[in-house]
Amino acid sequence: MLNEERVILMTRMASYEGSPEGRRNVKIGNYFRSDYLALQLLKSLASVTICFAVIFGLYIFYDFEDFMQNLYEIDLVAFVKKVIIYYGVAAGVYLASTYAVCTYRYAKAKRDLKNYYHNLKKLNSLYDEQF
Amino acid sequence: MTDLLEIREKIKLFYSKYEVFLLPVIKFLIAFITLNALNGKMGYMVRLDNMAVVLIAALACSFLPVGCIVLFTTLFSLLHMYALSMEVALVGFCFYMVIYLLFFRFAPRDSLVIVLTPLLFSLRIPYVMPIVVGLVCGPASAVSVGCGVGVHYLLQTVTDNSSAINTMGEDDLSGKLRLMIDGLLGNREMLVIAASFAITVLVVYLIRRMSIDHAWTIAMVSGALLNIVILLIGDLIYDINISVVGALLGSLLALAAAKVVEFFRFCVDYSRTEKVQFEDDEYYYYVKAVPKMSVAMSTKTVKKISSQYERGTAAQTRGGGSGSRGYGNQQKHRGESGHTTPAGQGASGRGRKPLDFEEY
Repeated sequence: MLNEERVILMTRMASYEGSPEGRRNVKIGNYFRSDYLALQLLKSLASVTICFAVIFGLYIFYDFEDFMQNLYEIDLVAFVKKVIIYYGVAAGVYLASTYAVCTYRYAKAKRDLKNYYHNLKKLNSLYDEQF
Repeated sequence: MTDLLEIREKIKLFYSKYEVFLLPVIKFLIAFITLNALNGKMGYMVRLDNMAVVLIAALACSFLPVGCIVLFTTLFSLLHMYALSMEVALVGFCFYMVIYLLFFRFAPRDSLVIVLTPLLFSLRIPYVMPIVVGLVCGPASAVSVGCGVGVHYLLQTVTDNSSAINTMGEDDLSGKLRLMIDGLLGNREMLVIAASFAITVLVVYLIRRMSIDHAWTIAMVSGALLNIVILLIGDLIYDINISVVGALLGSLLALAAAKVVEFFRFCVDYSRTEKVQFEDDEYYYYVKAVPKMSVAMSTKTVKKISSQYERGTAAQTRGGGSGSRGYGNQQKHRGESGHTTPAGQGASGRGRKPLDFEEY
């Protein structure tokens, strides 16, 4: 015998599981908060490092001949220090934004999943009532 | 208004019925128009500037995920840049890489915005983008629109400097790089437009989320005005020669487009707004409920005239009575028994064939 309430609940849950947001939330829900944040921060660090390397490469190639001519004249230690400071600032800003975005996303995913698990429990109780 | 609402319901019904076919067609059209516009704008690689190649790529995009439109567009533009000069392609590759690595890791769903923004620029209606995106997407899309503006100006820089790049020698690597990077970083117009579009997206988003009547309309009008004001201020400060008439006309067009989006996404009746207040153990709730505007679809009743009736009438006629008499008898019987077919049930109301003469 078909139970209308159960069918509605299952349809709603299947729709949530199939939606991009649902899939993403289920994936996020598999992690502990600290693990999720650490993974995202690592990915961001990799991204920002690659981007910084790309931009630094362009900066060097922008005036490559001058750079090569002055290579032995400039204070290399000060230059490297300057580059590291720029990298640190860029990475810091990007990692801080990543932390804020991912914290918000994790909290939101958990909130949505709580509702989803509540529906799952309700579905289970509907099955128990019938059998 | 009722007619419009009815048309909207019909369009929604049609879309939901044929979504499986319509979605690939829409993706195909977006990819086809975008790649064609790109080929028209750049077209340095002769092999790519070919209708057959564009059609194949657009067809592939039609059944692949939406992100593939972005991928194909990026590939096409990079190949055109490479045909012009390897250094130009290098700058383009770095630009795309920074955008994808830093931003689209967080908002992959906004990737279409980065394709549509340059497309609308080439169609000369860029002002539609920030207002519509502010109405439909979230605040993070402000960065997407900004990146889209950046991509447009990257392509613009390439096309503007193409003749200069062609005249440069093969060995002038840093000269070409310098030309491209200076063209991008020194482009004040790009910065002003990117800033004005991003601020407009945020303002439109914030106002349309407010709990005020006609929030969407207020959001789109104030967004359009703010956009013009920022552009004018930018024009005054940096002297970037933005066409004021073009901006005004573009904003009017943007308002019209935004009204269409509003009609499909947020058509509500503020005259029937209800405000209720209740509480539970933990909270007080102040709820404002605004009903959606909708109309019931008019249903068509198709009345089928059974061929058995004709045969029965003919039989009656042959049996001695006239056709008209036979029908008249039937009507009389039906009138006496009170058996009428309810509207909407069609000819098979109550499981009978009402015009089946043999039953009477």
